Amino acid sequence: MKLAYSPTEAWQPLPAADWNADAAGHLLRRVGWSAQPAEVEQATREGLTATLARLFPAQPALWTEPPLIAHLKEEIPAMARGLAGAQAGPDKQRLLREARERTQLAVLDMSIKWLQYAAHPQNAAFAKWVLFLSDVYVVGIEKVKNAALVWGHFDLLARHAFDSAPALAKAVSRSPAMVAYLDLNQSKREAPNENFARELFELFLLGEGNYTEADIKESARAFTGYRQQFGVFRFAPRQHDAGIKTIFGHTGYFMGDDVIDLAFQQPAAGAFLPHEMAKFYLTDTPLPPEYLHEIGSWWSAQHYDLHALTQRFFGSRLFFSPEFRGDFIKSPVQFYLGLVQDLGLSVAPLPRAVLNPLRQMGQTLFNPPNVRGWVGGRNWINSATFQARRQLVETLFAPIHEEALNADEQLELVAARANGVSNFTVADDLLTPLAALDPTVATTRLLANYLALPAAPEFRDAVRQFLAPEDAEAPQKLRRLRRAAVTLLQSPEYQLC
Amino acid sequence: MASNVPTPLFPTTRREFLQFSGRGIGLLAFSRFAPSFLVNSALAATPAPEKDRPILVLVQLAGGNDGLNTLVPYEDANYYRLRPTLGIAKDKVLPLNATVGLHPSCAALHRLTQDGKVAIVQNVGYPNPNRSHFRSSEIWETASGSNEFLATGWIGRFMDNACAGAPAGSHDPVGIHLSNGLPQSFLGASDHPTFGLQPGAGNRRENEENRRLLESLVNQPGPGENDNATYLKHTLMDALVTEKKVQAVLGSYQPSATYAGNPFAASLRNVAALIAAGLPTRVYFVSLTGFDTHSNQANQQANLLTTLSEGLAAFQKDLELHKLDGQVTTMTFSEFGRRPSENESRGTDHGTAAPLFVMGARVKGGLHGTAPDLNLAHNQDLIYTTDFRSVYATMLDRWMNCPSEPVLGGKFAPLGIV
Repeated sequence: MKLAYSPTEAWQPLPAADWNADAAGHLLRRVGWSAQPAEVEQATREGLTATLARLFPAQPALWTEPPLIAHLKEEIPAMARGLAGAQAGPDKQRLLREARERTQLAVLDMSIKWLQYAAHPQNAAFAKWVLFLSDVYVVGIEKVKNAALVWGHFDLLARHAFDSAPALAKAVSRSPAMVAYLDLNQSKREAPNENFARELFELFLLGEGNYTEADIKESARAFTGYRQQFGVFRFAPRQHDAGIKTIFGHTGYFMGDDVIDLAFQQPAAGAFLPHEMAKFYLTDTPLPPEYLHEIGSWWSAQHYDLHALTQRFFGSRLFFSPEFRGDFIKSPVQFYLGLVQDLGLSVAPLPRAVLNPLRQMGQTLFNPPNVRGWVGGRNWINSATFQARRQLVETLFAPIHEEALNADEQLELVAARANGVSNFTVADDLLTPLAALDPTVATTRLLANYLALPAAPEFRDAVRQFLAPEDAEAPQKLRRLRRAAVTLLQSPEYQLC
Repeated sequence: MASNVPTPLFPTTRREFLQFSGRGIGLLAFSRFAPSFLVNSALAATPAPEKDRPILVLVQLAGGNDGLNTLVPYEDANYYRLRPTLGIAKDKVLPLNATVGLHPSCAALHRLTQDGKVAIVQNVGYPNPNRSHFRSSEIWETASGSNEFLATGWIGRFMDNACAGAPAGSHDPVGIHLSNGLPQSFLGASDHPTFGLQPGAGNRRENEENRRLLESLVNQPGPGENDNATYLKHTLMDALVTEKKVQAVLGSYQPSATYAGNPFAASLRNVAALIAAGLPTRVYFVSLTGFDTHSNQANQQANLLTTLSEGLAAFQKDLELHKLDGQVTTMTFSEFGRRPSENESRGTDHGTAAPLFVMGARVKGGLHGTAPDLNLAHNQDLIYTTDFRSVYATMLDRWMNCPSEPVLGGKFAPLGIV
């Protein structure tokens, strides 16, 4: 990759002269889900520094615990006691089945609740930042099997999201979901399990090639005795190997937290998270090592402060570099939440209607394919997933087919409407003002609202001609505008941000 | 085949598509990611579509069809005890033998069963049943155990096993679904060309306009040179070519049977059209929704069963008159049956096992498996007697000519239905 700036220039703040509506749109799309005209206008007016401070506030609004999770937490100890007391046989099977069903319902509910939280423009950047952290510190419901633990993991990531990176890593090593996911629970003094220690170095802190197998073996000993019960972390001293260990050339009676501190003294530690950020937020092509090294040295001098890293990274000349504009394939979550924001909709409280399309597009929340997280980029797109994207757009433009809903879904819909929320699909009144405009103006508006880059004149003409055929009756105009909007959202260009 | 219809504005092969748009060819020729059809057109000859391969049509009864009122045990006093208001009177039941018969709305299916063209597998389910729509559908579609989570569907794994190394020139879909979104069944470990037709979505004219505009946009220069944009364009072009081919087939089809005027029947008509056109598609997926009958079930289920029964009968007749019936087997499934005890709202709540239908010229018609034991306390559930994966294994081994074990991840005893 050839970049316009030298490594030193690249991480300098974007000059004020380069801050404009296009740059603001780029920032909003990349750190959030979309760029609404009013937000672009506000960001352009406020300037980059103030905008970043607003998008990443030191005290962000956290995702509140969904009621089903709270219930699940309350009932876990009783459920576990019941299971422990039950004889093997039908009773035990029934209890197991009930526990599973409770957690499955809770996962669906918390998926919807997270999307509703993340869809709010004021939460978008922080929700995405936590989603990013969860794509580094991966856990998955499939293995953890308990929705309350997975929710707790997200809550922990959010609470440490702007902490120092070592503090975050230490918290994660005590996250009950992580203890279950990477088998710390199984790790004993006599038989240390290496799963967590390996991923800690390879996928969380340093990257492949920056540690030895011996470092992993010794570190695994340091993490023995980490346990969780009913979603609460505890340390079991009798299962812990308190002996002397040699890690990264240092020898001592190291415990888990010491391993994390030692890892952050490694030269690779500073560049690792910026590298992950570039992959998640910026580009499919890895940044050249000298650029990562540059920001890595700076970041380690900042004691790995995560908040400082967001301000530096998202405010840099490199982040706004022309080669990174409008060329990044939206993840399914971004595609869906971007549509919700672009169309002024609310996330429907209907797991089937919302979560099935996400799965069809290739992303199931809280259930990444493996400990590496989602691969992203062009892997999001194939014939089936692209068609799923197109179908989602059609679905959002058609009224909900209520007689086809299951009974529980109908209840959810009634409850949402009683709370005054009913804009789950695009109603005509959303499009009427646009349809009243001159076709050229309407075209400009549609393209500017939906696409990340200015459209070529031929592209613009194709849309304008579609909007303004000879039969210009009002209902026709509305209908054609609706079709044009649908088509634009299905276009290759809209898949990019 | 409909691609022979001369429609200069509507190219139906990728080559025509490219000729159709001079700018398109430029865009493609100079880009780094040549779409597969362009690369493949360089191959000497594309093998003819494999026309005589067995085809499976899956019919999803979404919401959980009440099995006890579909296949009615009209001589069992327990049935009438559990269903004081919903029970179907003996004199209304369409008898299949001395103990069970079909719901009165299933007259057409009853006739087909008597003609030996429909097999009914009784009491199909799985161990430790789950009563969530979402999860139980997932279990059926991924063919997993109750406590097992699989990322791929059983049809997807069939494609992984049977369609790897398919003729390289063909981008024709191996699976087509007529449902709201790609069925989980279709997800494979590798990417297979699949295609979806949303039943009753928009009108033909709007879809046509939509496609034309997309086509025109995809042929415009993008805002900048960018690999991802090119990749997306090529994926979309492949899809548009298939879409156009499919629309041409559907538009020119002359059915030999009369289909009712509902979206389900229209979907089956479209499946018949695509089969008649000789597409190499191996699996079709059609969905009929609304079976979640928690209250006032009687009318709702009766209407749905009429739609199902008449739709399937028209489809079968159409295939027969086109002499395609030897090539197609149709199978229904639902995420669960319903609770044997009716509830206080003249409906039924989520349950477990239920019968399913398998239809085709090659099936061994009549009843298979054993009927459920109804000696149950209030609100107790049926205990399944045939695992749904045995039905899948039968379809794979004996119909689709694909070894079932790698697809299902285990051996399941096949049934004598085909």
